[in-house]
Amino acid sequence: MKELRFRIIMIAGAIALCLYLLYPTYKDYQNNKEVTAQLEGLQQSIKKSSPSLANAQIKDIIASKKDSILTNNPDYRSAREKRIKLGLDLQGGMYLVMEVNTAKLLEKLARDPDDQFKQALKSSEAELKDSDENVVSILARKMKQQNIRMSRYFGSIREDDDAITSKLLQQESDAVTRAIEIISNRVNQYGVSEPSIQKQGSRRIVIELPGIAREEEAKRLLQGSALLEFKLVKDADFAIPIMNQIDQALAGKTEKDSASAKKDDASKTDTTKKDQKLTDEQFAKEHPFFAVARLLDPQGRIADAYVKESDKSKINAFLENPEVKKVVPDNIEFIYDQRPEMDPDGEKYYRMYMVNKEASLTGGVIVDAQSNIDPTTSAPIVNMQMNTEGSRDWAQITGSNINKRCAIVLDGVVYSAPNIIGKIPSGNSQITGSANLDEAKLLEIVLKAGALPAPIEILEQRTVGPSLGQDSISQGFNSAWISYLLVALFMAFYYKKAGTFADLALVLTILLSLGVLAAFQATLTLPGIAGIVLTMGMAVDANVLIFERIREELATGKTPKAAVDAGFKISFSAIFDSNITTLLTGIILYQFGSGPVQGFALTLIIGIVTSLFSQLILVRIIFDFILAKGYKINVG
Amino acid sequence: MRIFQNLNIDFLGKRTIFYFISATLILLGFINILTRGLHLGIDFKGGTEIALQFEKPVDITQIRNDVNKLGLGGVEAKTFGSSNDILLRTDLQEIPANIIPKVKSKIESIISNTFPGLQRRIADSTSTTITIKFPDSRTADILNNKLFEAGFQTSKAIDDTANASVIVRLTISDLLKENLSAMYKSNPFIVLKEDKVGPKVGQELKRDAVIAVMLSLVVILIYISFRFKFTFAIGAVAALFHDVLITLGLFTFLYGLIPGLNLEFSITVVAAFLTLIGYSMNDTVVVFDRVREHLKLHKTLSLEENMNKAINRTFSRTIITGLATLFSVIVLIIFGGEVLRGFAFALFIGMITGTYSSIFVASAFVLEYANRTHKKIEF
Repeated sequence: MKELRFRIIMIAGAIALCLYLLYPTYKDYQNNKEVTAQLEGLQQSIKKSSPSLANAQIKDIIASKKDSILTNNPDYRSAREKRIKLGLDLQGGMYLVMEVNTAKLLEKLARDPDDQFKQALKSSEAELKDSDENVVSILARKMKQQNIRMSRYFGSIREDDDAITSKLLQQESDAVTRAIEIISNRVNQYGVSEPSIQKQGSRRIVIELPGIAREEEAKRLLQGSALLEFKLVKDADFAIPIMNQIDQALAGKTEKDSASAKKDDASKTDTTKKDQKLTDEQFAKEHPFFAVARLLDPQGRIADAYVKESDKSKINAFLENPEVKKVVPDNIEFIYDQRPEMDPDGEKYYRMYMVNKEASLTGGVIVDAQSNIDPTTSAPIVNMQMNTEGSRDWAQITGSNINKRCAIVLDGVVYSAPNIIGKIPSGNSQITGSANLDEAKLLEIVLKAGALPAPIEILEQRTVGPSLGQDSISQGFNSAWISYLLVALFMAFYYKKAGTFADLALVLTILLSLGVLAAFQATLTLPGIAGIVLTMGMAVDANVLIFERIREELATGKTPKAAVDAGFKISFSAIFDSNITTLLTGIILYQFGSGPVQGFALTLIIGIVTSLFSQLILVRIIFDFILAKGYKINVG
Repeated sequence: MRIFQNLNIDFLGKRTIFYFISATLILLGFINILTRGLHLGIDFKGGTEIALQFEKPVDITQIRNDVNKLGLGGVEAKTFGSSNDILLRTDLQEIPANIIPKVKSKIESIISNTFPGLQRRIADSTSTTITIKFPDSRTADILNNKLFEAGFQTSKAIDDTANASVIVRLTISDLLKENLSAMYKSNPFIVLKEDKVGPKVGQELKRDAVIAVMLSLVVILIYISFRFKFTFAIGAVAALFHDVLITLGLFTFLYGLIPGLNLEFSITVVAAFLTLIGYSMNDTVVVFDRVREHLKLHKTLSLEENMNKAINRTFSRTIITGLATLFSVIVLIIFGGEVLRGFAFALFIGMITGTYSSIFVASAFVLEYANRTHKKIEF
């Protein structure tokens, strides 16, 4: 009995642990219901405001809205983060495999490509289709065969072919890094929850964007090359009065008050001091804009402001306000820094800049960029070269804006806003002020995005709409319980009381499987659910083997206790060997598959392990308990 | 309840009958594959597949005609679950050259409707993209958005220093969706799923699938030789080949015969094959384990007699586990939804063949091999 108690405690512990691990998933499910209820009214209002939308489209809009509430609202976020992760096929989303088109990159990099070069490149490209080799090395080989030196098109004359080849491979890998940066930048702007962007091999990028409900958003993410622009940052003298006006307009002060508002502008420092005495609530009421956009410099020398991540949408809403629109000139815009800064509480703040809406220059003029360490100051720097056309414009821009800042903007996000120190006549500029070499390297990548648009091709693109995902979840859920019911009834019918023990073990198997999924933060996919459903059928196998054996042993006239002992003992080798083979194929499947198929392999593997645990240990405990109490055993 | 108590059937004595049945099934499968071909999904062939859900039920023949009118050629249209849902599929990687002028004129008309008489120039035109240069960046911005709203994938061209060029990407799926939404204005649709697979990825997946199946067979061969005897491993792997071939044959044979069942070869079907390998092996190992036990107990009996005993003794377990698993698989076919149906159906055939082979052929293969090599098997 004592030994039995230990095993019971172990099982109870496992159950408790699983329930603990699964609680966030349950909580998230409850939150989901709550938010669905909140959004009930929305469907009607959308229908009223835009009757042209189809029901299904409205459903999609609401699904995406729900998703964004559940991931962004702090009340719901923690449950969402710890719940069992759902694969793209269940929550909707997009899976992409992209590859850098090295041939195109080579064509862009080549100096004066002639017909001979184009010919060689074309045949290398053709050869690539049925080989794993890299275009660069195929091209290098072809050139060698024709006795052409690589240095004729790439690098400098003194370099030998090997050096050039390795440089070109580096360029290729840089292009991948650049593409990843550009895509991450866009993904962050769209606020996709739990995105995954990974480099695979030397030139592939695998992107998973869950919950992108609206197809258009996803397309925007993928559209063409990145847009790099140089935009002048507005001076404080210009920006702060406008910000004040926005603030006043939002606070509900009418045009008539603008005179007093102007006075406020003049004594901005006073206002802020006075405001400090106000409570946060009052401040937010009187200065709605400044409550959200905190000025970096209270003296008002520069007009940059910090905005909390969650407040970005508020700012957007403010700027849409018709009263505000009246006071904001239409040639300026507010844009954010690419990287947030954390306050001690872990809250993310983004620096907001007021810039000219129209770009002074676009990135197409950049010829090259290099990050480096300045030999004299040992500070990280980035050198940037422009073409002749760009240099001319740049000289004019820098000449007339000395001591102003110029933001380097990629796809609408600021990567750096260096101060213009003097007129740059040659187009060769040096950007200082990066915090470290990594930051400088990032800036180099961004600047090169203008010079060398990474030629990226989409190899594979899979999109699942949220409604199909929802359907899949409910179909998977239904299959699971129906399957359980059938198998459980069958077992109870065939093996009587012992069959119900197996049914109990099956419940434990499912609970443990889900617990393990949650513990490892593994992703549940639709084939994964299929794996669980299949486990229901296959998991009773060990018990079937044992029960059949007990029957046989009882038939030979053994005592119940001896029969149970023998049943468990003798069946073990068959159970072990048969499960190992299934496990092995499961592991191979996991290696081979991607996304959904991996999900299936995973639940299958977990199912094998957990079902063995519950069938061998839980069912044994029940048998031992019955035998110890002296009850009769019944295996049908 | 007991169904198969004290069973005593001479399975191995009748093995020629089962060889005949298996050989016929495999042969029919081969002939079928040779004549009708393997129906590869876009996972392996490359291509585009879109599933659309219409607001109201649609007539599939009507859709088929409408899609054919586009002149793309080779676009299949099928129902996808309910009568509101359809699946469009094509192997085409890019829009055929004869359609491009149509698309171009559509783009032109959008531009003309927005800015009548606007100066523009097609800077570059390939089979996948068209680059249009506009007089200034503001017009380019506006048209970029206009074309995007019209369903095209557009972006500003970066290499234009004046920032006034727009790249329009031409994809089959956009073309299909755009035309269908124009044709079915009164019955709008949403996109349930959309898959695009390039030919390169298809090739790689094909290779990976073959490697995975072969690798699992090799691993099983090694494991069984290690735990049992090499003779058993040969029999087991032969039985697995047998299962895979029969399932493959039946799966391709039933393609298109069962209405509403989409039986083409996709990655998930390959996953089903690997699962079937695992399951069938599981079943066979249980029988082998019993053979091993009997060989240790009854050293005087012949291998054939011991095998017959073992199969008879494990018969009940084989059927019960097989039934329980089959219940789950049938539930998946019925309730698992359109996405899983092909996968579940492959498993359904596989489970039956796997159970059949572990009773009737796996041990027979071992016996055959042992007789040929005149090896005495002892544990």
